[in-house]
Amino acid sequence: MVEEQIQKLQAAALARIEDATDKDALEQVRIDVLGRKGSLAQFDVGKLPPEERKIAGRALNAAKQELAAAFETRQHAFAAGALDARLKDEWLDLTLPAPGPRPGSLHPVTIIQNEIEDLFTSLGFAVLDGPEVETEYHNFDALNIPPEHPARDMQDTFWLSNGHLLRTHTSPVQVRGMERLGPPLRMIAPGRVFRNEEVDASHEHTFYQLEGMMIDRNVSVANLIYFMKTLLSAIFHREAVVRLRPGYFPFVEPGFELDIRCLICGGPGCPVCKQSGWVELLPCGLVHPNVLRKSGIDPDEWGGFAFGLGLTRLAMMRYGIDDIRLFASGDLRFLRQFSR
Amino acid sequence: MKFSYNWIRELVPGLNAEPLELMRLITMKTAECEGLEQVGSDTVIEVDNKSLTHRPDLWGHYGMAREVAAITHGTLRDPVKASLPAGKAPIEINIEDFKLCPRYSALVFENVTVQASPAWMADRLEAVGLNAINNIVDVTNYVMAELAQPMHAFDQDKLHGPVIFVRSARLGEQVAALNDESYNLSPSNLVIADAEGPIALAGVIGGLHSAIGPQTKRIVLESANFQASSVRKTSVALKLRTDASMRFEKSQDPLNTVRGLARAWELLEQVSPGIRLVGGLADSHGELKKPAPIELSVDWLQAKLGRELEAREVLSILESLEFGVEESVPGHFLVTVPSWRATKDISIKDDLLEEIGRMVGYESITPRAPLIEAVVPPGDGSRNYLRHVREMSTAQGFTEVYNYSFVTDEMARAFRMTPEEHVGVTNPIASGQTLLRASLLPAILRNILDNSRYFQSFRLFEIGREIHARGQELPQEIPHFGAAMYQREGDGRESLFELKRLAECLMEGCETSLAEARPFEHPERAAVVAWRGEDVGRLFELHPSVGIGGGVEGRAAILDLDLIKMESLGDRERRYQPWSRFPVSAFDVSVVAGLREPSIQIERRLATAAGSDLVQIQFLREYTGAPLPPDCKSVTYRLTVGAADRTLSSEEVGAVRERVIGAVTKLPD
Repeated sequence: MVEEQIQKLQAAALARIEDATDKDALEQVRIDVLGRKGSLAQFDVGKLPPEERKIAGRALNAAKQELAAAFETRQHAFAAGALDARLKDEWLDLTLPAPGPRPGSLHPVTIIQNEIEDLFTSLGFAVLDGPEVETEYHNFDALNIPPEHPARDMQDTFWLSNGHLLRTHTSPVQVRGMERLGPPLRMIAPGRVFRNEEVDASHEHTFYQLEGMMIDRNVSVANLIYFMKTLLSAIFHREAVVRLRPGYFPFVEPGFELDIRCLICGGPGCPVCKQSGWVELLPCGLVHPNVLRKSGIDPDEWGGFAFGLGLTRLAMMRYGIDDIRLFASGDLRFLRQFSR
Repeated sequence: MKFSYNWIRELVPGLNAEPLELMRLITMKTAECEGLEQVGSDTVIEVDNKSLTHRPDLWGHYGMAREVAAITHGTLRDPVKASLPAGKAPIEINIEDFKLCPRYSALVFENVTVQASPAWMADRLEAVGLNAINNIVDVTNYVMAELAQPMHAFDQDKLHGPVIFVRSARLGEQVAALNDESYNLSPSNLVIADAEGPIALAGVIGGLHSAIGPQTKRIVLESANFQASSVRKTSVALKLRTDASMRFEKSQDPLNTVRGLARAWELLEQVSPGIRLVGGLADSHGELKKPAPIELSVDWLQAKLGRELEAREVLSILESLEFGVEESVPGHFLVTVPSWRATKDISIKDDLLEEIGRMVGYESITPRAPLIEAVVPPGDGSRNYLRHVREMSTAQGFTEVYNYSFVTDEMARAFRMTPEEHVGVTNPIASGQTLLRASLLPAILRNILDNSRYFQSFRLFEIGREIHARGQELPQEIPHFGAAMYQREGDGRESLFELKRLAECLMEGCETSLAEARPFEHPERAAVVAWRGEDVGRLFELHPSVGIGGGVEGRAAILDLDLIKMESLGDRERRYQPWSRFPVSAFDVSVVAGLREPSIQIERRLATAAGSDLVQIQFLREYTGAPLPPDCKSVTYRLTVGAADRTLSSEEVGAVRERVIGAVTKLPD
């Protein structure tokens, strides 16, 4: 009777739930059956005789529970289906190129310079800067190269309308460093330098050097070799074998040319090292007492070493660049090759 | 400088080292050898001239032989055997200034036969790169190549008077030189002269009129010493470098003049049979200073080299190089420098350190880390800042270029700068090097033009110094940042706004305000970039007529910023600020404005009207088109308002909104 009616209604509702084709149809069934004015609400169990009330009440609760569960299941199925459909619809061709710019590259000389700066700052060296237009005094005289000194021939100079010159090396920054900071001193000075030369694949009028200097109380040739080996091993990522031989530079005494064991052939000889097994890499030496004195440092108390590193040359070696003119070409076909 | 292996072996009898080994030894101990060349039965070793700059003695074979003997523990044979006879000199020498000419020595010969040199002499000269001319001239060159003493022979019958003058040239004097050139002289040139006038440029070149010829019967053989800087000045001024001037500018040894004559006499007797010396040596000199001995201690040498040394090792090295050594106290020496090393090369103990170091061999020194205080090096803020700018720029897709520091007058003018604002180069060797750049823009334009041939679009930047003339003072060098973006297609908006975004990446909150365009800028697309109240640079599109119109398609925008200003404006201490914990409200306002009304003005007006409750104002969009009139646009902003200490009531938010709307409904046209 009432119980039967409830069960019939329940069965019909279950069928409608099953038949609902979408979320909205399902919702309509829920309103029709379980809603406040829905078909289940018409059963007022309280009005039934007590013996029937108990049975009908149980049946009604069972029907409500079962239908609610069925609704929920069906609702979930629809939600899952809808999500599934949305996701399917959202197929994306991830093989398409991504929009927006790619990182550009630093200039190869910047990359090398940054590396070496970091290396030397980690060893307690200051990084100093100086003007590109220099006085004759700082570029030559203070470095023990007086006027008419034949060493001035080694460095063809651009002379300027204001009576000054374009620095021919980064060494004047040594002088400025000594003047400003005094001893003890550990410094490097990277920068742009100029030589009044014809340009070809291996000669440039504009190139980059890194000058280094250490002034302290007891600095020896053994210390100089130590620093150069440390530097070059770090730059080339392998144990560097170096040798010193005499070299003449007026601002150092003694002066050296430092050669590195050829990185291409490792010693037996190849075209890069002209079959010698060695590649000339950097000039260095103990700072000449005249240079110390000119910068107000007592050579009896202090001494030190200095070296000059060709950053352009190093970049050529590192990247296998065979034409020095590329560095100032502004050619992005070249420059873009150095991004990280 | 070319060295004959056979010649060296003649001076170091018993030399065992083969040419290749000798070359290695010389390179490691003395001077850089550049290569070997087989010349007939001889081998020539080429030594880098630069590495001989400080060694006047090594401009002759005997000097190099001394090195070789010391390196190989061999014996050195002095080629000078004769001693000159005493006797009255047939000529007189008159030196005006012993500073410019410390010594002038000469011999006179008669019964001279001028002919070709014997093959052994000609071959040897040719091997070391000197042309054989005739026996007399060849002897002078031979002595120069052997003893580093330049010499000159005059035809005595072509000289006027018995006196040889060494003096400054007089204004207006000329000399016709052996190279068939005629030189106008000034008092800064030192000349050799007879009673009539100059007969040679001292230390540089001989005169044509007194040159040795086939008829020459009597000669004056000059062997002199000249001040290095005077010879160099003349040689540079007259653009005339000779074998003699190259040697003299290295400061030759005044004691060598007489040795040169003695050697020449011996050679002349071999190559000009019957030649006779007339009288004795003519020799005039100032005070020939003896260098003061140098104190040297083994302890000091050890400390400087970072290697142990034996006193006898030091002694034997110095003696092998012909230094005078006296061991005053054990381990302490008093060292006398030989005359050929004393002119400039060696005067202090540090110079002797090099002698010891190179001879013991630097390879014998073990690398050692110094014992020094650990200190944090003084920082260089600018360098870190420039690194930051570089990294930010590459992160935004810009590639770094390096451009030359030079511009031409023409490039400068294209960017409306006068040559007077620039520092000029007085000796450019290439066109394009006449001025130092006072702006990065000319070179960046070139970068754009060059790369536009290969790329549809690109981004690049440079960090470089603008160099601004300041009269005779060192110029001002201002680091600038120049960035460019090029697109072959499109309306140019993207490039400008990408550069503006880059500026904002570098300077948070920087603003652009429309500016009057310079002639190379697009007249409607130029702005001043300001940050924290100061102008720091410009953003613009290049005017189509600047280079880019000339057959190059596309558009380019440029950002040009002063890095000094940027760094100083960015230098701020940062402190944490707690944010309001109370909710905020937001509302959108669309404003109809004139098409060319700068949006920043609308934004500022809205912000001002919103007052202190404004938390943020955000541009949403711009719209033009129907239903707006064609000369109007609509810009929409989202304003967020709130207070630090409470939630604003809806009435308060409404009041702000009313104020804002009121402010823009009264917009001026």
